[in-house]
Amino acid sequence: MQTITLEIREKVFEGVAKVPVELDGVTPDALCGKSADEIKEMRVWWGNRQEKLGDLFEVSVEGNAEKPDDVKIVCKGDFSVVKRVGEGMSAGEMIVEGNVGMHCGAMMSGGRIVVKGNAGCWAGREMRGGELIIEGDADDYLGAAYRGEMTGMTGGRIVVKGNAGDYVGYLCGGGEIIVEGNVGILAGLGMKGGRIVINGDAEAPGGEMTGGTLIVKGSIKDMLPSFRFESEEEIEGVKLKKYAGDLAMGKKAKGALYAP
Amino acid sequence: MAELLIKNGIVFDPINGVKGEKMDICIKDGKIVESVSSEAKVIDASGCIVMPGGVDAHTHIAGGKVNAGRLLRPEDGRKGLEPRTSVCRACSGYSVPNTFATGYRYAKMGYTFLMEPAMPPLKARHMHEELMDTPIVDKAGMPLLDNNWMTLQYVKSGDIEKLAAYIAWMINATKGYGVKIVNPGGTEAWGWRKNCGLEDPVPYFDVTPAEIIKALAEANERLSLPHSIHLHANRLGQPGNYETTLKTYDLVKDIKPSRDRQVMHATHVQFHSYGGTKWADFESKADEIAKYVNRHEHITIDLGAVMLGDTTTMTADGPMEYNLYLLTGRKWTNCDVELETGAGITPFLYSGKVPVNTIQWAIGIELALLVEDPWKVVLTTDHPNGGPFITYPILISLLMSRKRREEVMKEVHSVINQRAVLPTIERELDWYEIAIMTRGTPAKILGLHEHGKGHLGIGADADVAIYEISPEETDAGRIQKALLSAKYTIKGGEVVVKDGEVVAAPEGRTFYVDVRYEDEEVWKEMLGDLERMFKEYYTVSLANYPVQDHYVPKPYVIKAGAAE
Amino acid sequence: MPTITDVVCPLCGCLCDNISVEVEDNAVKKVSGACAVGRAKLLGHESRIRSPMIKEGGEFRECSYEEAIRRAAEILAAARRPLLYGWSSTVCEAHKVGILLAEVLGGVIDNTASVCHGPTVQAVQGVGLPTCTLGEVKNRADLIIYWGANPVEAHGNHMRRYSYISKGWFRPGGKKDRKLVVVDVRETRTAKMADLFIKVEPNKDYLVLAALRAIVNGFADVIPDEVGGVPKEKLVELAEMMKKAQFGIIFFGMGLTQSRYKHNNIEQAISLVRDLYAFTKFAIMPMRGHYNVTGFNQVCTWQTGFPFAVDFARGYAWYNPGETAANDVLSRKECDAALIVASDPAAHFPAESVKYLAKIPLVVIDPYPNLTTEIADVVIPSAISGIEAEGTAYRMDKVPLRLKKLVDSEFMTDEEILERILDEVLKIKGLR
Ligand code: SF4
Ligand SMILES: [Zn+2]
Repeated sequence: MQTITLEIREKVFEGVAKVPVELDGVTPDALCGKSADEIKEMRVWWGNRQEKLGDLFEVSVEGNAEKPDDVKIVCKGDFSVVKRVGEGMSAGEMIVEGNVGMHCGAMMSGGRIVVKGNAGCWAGREMRGGELIIEGDADDYLGAAYRGEMTGMTGGRIVVKGNAGDYVGYLCGGGEIIVEGNVGILAGLGMKGGRIVINGDAEAPGGEMTGGTLIVKGSIKDMLPSFRFESEEEIEGVKLKKYAGDLAMGKKAKGALYAP
Repeated sequence: MAELLIKNGIVFDPINGVKGEKMDICIKDGKIVESVSSEAKVIDASGCIVMPGGVDAHTHIAGGKVNAGRLLRPEDGRKGLEPRTSVCRACSGYSVPNTFATGYRYAKMGYTFLMEPAMPPLKARHMHEELMDTPIVDKAGMPLLDNNWMTLQYVKSGDIEKLAAYIAWMINATKGYGVKIVNPGGTEAWGWRKNCGLEDPVPYFDVTPAEIIKALAEANERLSLPHSIHLHANRLGQPGNYETTLKTYDLVKDIKPSRDRQVMHATHVQFHSYGGTKWADFESKADEIAKYVNRHEHITIDLGAVMLGDTTTMTADGPMEYNLYLLTGRKWTNCDVELETGAGITPFLYSGKVPVNTIQWAIGIELALLVEDPWKVVLTTDHPNGGPFITYPILISLLMSRKRREEVMKEVHSVINQRAVLPTIERELDWYEIAIMTRGTPAKILGLHEHGKGHLGIGADADVAIYEISPEETDAGRIQKALLSAKYTIKGGEVVVKDGEVVAAPEGRTFYVDVRYEDEEVWKEMLGDLERMFKEYYTVSLANYPVQDHYVPKPYVIKAGAAE
Repeated sequence: MPTITDVVCPLCGCLCDNISVEVEDNAVKKVSGACAVGRAKLLGHESRIRSPMIKEGGEFRECSYEEAIRRAAEILAAARRPLLYGWSSTVCEAHKVGILLAEVLGGVIDNTASVCHGPTVQAVQGVGLPTCTLGEVKNRADLIIYWGANPVEAHGNHMRRYSYISKGWFRPGGKKDRKLVVVDVRETRTAKMADLFIKVEPNKDYLVLAALRAIVNGFADVIPDEVGGVPKEKLVELAEMMKKAQFGIIFFGMGLTQSRYKHNNIEQAISLVRDLYAFTKFAIMPMRGHYNVTGFNQVCTWQTGFPFAVDFARGYAWYNPGETAANDVLSRKECDAALIVASDPAAHFPAESVKYLAKIPLVVIDPYPNLTTEIADVVIPSAISGIEAEGTAYRMDKVPLRLKKLVDSEFMTDEEILERILDEVLKIKGLR
């Protein structure tokens, strides 16, 4: 087991601006077996310049690992200005002890990320596999697609203990998203596969969906007029109405929306 | 300018009949010369193939439609991201690259001249703005002139003289190169969400596509333009369309060319060589098309070959793009242009698992192999319709290696064994034939060989491609690699690519035709008609319509008609 | 007085090109053919910035172009995440230099689309855009729908030149041959002219559009009696009108792009138009505001691959509105310097963003004083494009036109100023 700790330095917060640091390429896959000195020498983008990782983060390493599965990266301090944490990771574990910036866990295909605080927009964007746990709130575009793509998330699992913003699971094609709290507008927008469960409230959920399952247990604002009521069903102990839609999409609409 | 001496390369220069000879090429002041002084910088090309710079006679690289394709597809944009370097601007895109990437990537493949084949005249300025921003290569664009209301009216009244006068005016106003025809009549009908077959009357205009094609071919020869009409026939992409295609080719067989060239260039013929009656019995008719081309001298073709993978389709053929959208359900853009033309765009994945796509893939290759005379064939994918231009090396390796074809045929849908001809074809093209299809033929059919393009004769532009590969090499992978990154590309006497990297990015020139129509009486009447069209129906004024010189800062002007 | 004809109006996205102006003593004295706002701009009575200025100790002092340009270059070259914003009221020639500057700086470049029709662009990237040039509407359209747009007040000549009131090849009778529908949250002056006015509750457009699509696609039965304040019968009536039109067009404005569900409103509206192709010919077009907002999006797309909100931090283009648009980097305090060209974000951005903009080093290039020049550190006056300088602009339907120079100016053009800043930046970075 190799445990790597990255503690963000004060330097990142000096000055008026909060220029984000981008931590793509700093994953268990990349860090596996590296010494603290090697990691410190790695380059990361801070605005339009590349800096040594060690100049922006205090780096310490305990133990060693042969494969990324046995690597754990612990992120300490305020990571809300750090983007792309765990982007593209395929194995191992990353723990963010506080908040984290945008694109956390984007395009990850395996392993596990735990964010103890809140996560910025596009957490779990285009996720293929693995697990992303956000103990606080998630901002907009959780598990969403990149602009213009046909499909967003296709596999893996995202759990948000708090609330999530707009467009949860935009163009979801597979995998699972669970939000314990409320969500913003258009959860499951254009989804065509996978499963999204919202325990709290939602606004206009399921717009333009053509497949997959979207479950809203709380109340709904702006229920879309283009869904057809089908039956009453009990899901996880809650009595819900099942709708088919979104019929705005015409005959190809085969999505299932469960709503109170 | 510095002198260059390319030593010991194996030269393929079809226009001058040079067929793989070891010889030196001398360059001075941007031109090929007889000899150079001892001061000349020497490029050692031993073990390399040397060809004239490639000429792409049909590639959608610039203008409103291409840009709508880029805008539509940020997901394609992010596929080709390359950071700025000390020489190059930042690049993006795969099937719809930004203008900078277009210039660099073509240059890396040894191409130095590109023809944008579908300029909506009203948006000519836009195309020229993009051509200005397409570095290194020389280029030109052809205005769409077949669905224009002026054209339709003159065709209806049978007035070839006024039609010729109008074409001359439009080519000058758009700083264009030749007469492009796209789904004649059908694009106008699309203004009402309809389409037209070859003999169907165009709604409200009472002319047929067949009449439009013939009249434009006659007017084109009346003006003696360097290029023939350049035709995207009706019924593109529809099962069973090969019959329409053959009828279309036959329409102009009795028209006399005004120059030593074809009367009609038929473009992206792969998309027009389909048998069957519906998708379920879709099959290749490349053999029928090739038979016709083999027996006739008035026609040349380009392939519009399909390469498997994701791409963006775009054409002025609005109804065709809509039908493609209906098949895929993916996003779709359409833009009709007042009094003139239209455009449609939709992404498309050619999959070897899909029977129709597999046959399409086969047809493009079949056409190249079944047409006996390579001087009638231009190698294209109709970028990006059949595949991005960056796939040319793959296409060439398939044409040169039967082994490679067989490997792919094993991977794709087995329908290829029943409904395509490819499995029975043994022919493998050699380097000379490839040089013909990528240099000689495109330059000749466009009339560019008279202006120093497509060959390495004395006085020609010093546009040269040097590929690090032996003429004996048969390995498809090595052929592909060598063609994708030229060892050297020289443009106008300047080394622009070295070892597959862009080392200099000069501006290229824009070629356009200055054509004069001489009968003043007819000219005046045509101008009267034109003024009325602008006053009543266009939404821009006549004075603001022609492309100002400002948009062609590095022109090369070819005179035609009475201006010659 | 010498008359200049076929002048292109440099004010709104209509880019009317049939304007005549009379010029005397190097000033425009008379304008004909323009609407009231267009005329006012061409006559040029607005006050101007008289000289380049640098702020020191909270006070502006006048300085030379040279000094202002050097100061601007120093500010931008030092920045780790500079923002280059505005661009919609200047010509494409300036855009090109701006984009190159952003690339050299590793900055974020964005135009005003991100606060007006950015949602439209995002919608197009989701579903596409069946559209046309304005002449198609003039010559063919028998059904014209303005949705969340009020051309009578915002695009004075739009109806007369291009749509409802204009006469065309297949519509020789002008408005006699057409039907006008207006959908809006209030009865605007445009709505008063309509054959059918549909009043939607604020922020319910998405629901109304979803219902219309379901009706058009054959599922009228599921639609409740009322959607977004509109009775079902009215929706069915509108759907029928659309299906029966020979050529229909939806023009939409900021009433649709900036209300709740933003780009999803547009996505639904575009999808509705696309669905209508099962029955007839239809098109849809955004009513672009600033005269060259479209031009920036065009240039930015062919040069970078993306239409706006482009982040060059890593040397290549990263496009992600929501992260890389101007208000995104301002509201999250990511940028550490800004260059604003031909635009007034201080008047239009959320208060927090403006407050932040005032805190960071700020360079503004503009002909006119405005709220943003007030909070700037360097102000560089420029010639007015389309009046004092020529160049290219793209109409709302992406038709490019060349703007004319009508009078001489003592000021440098946007293009020249930007080129000189670029030159200085290259010197500072040791690249020239
Ligand atoms: S409608 Fe717009 S472009 Fe036309 S005159 Fe008025 S402001 Fe100028
Ligand atoms: Zn083509």
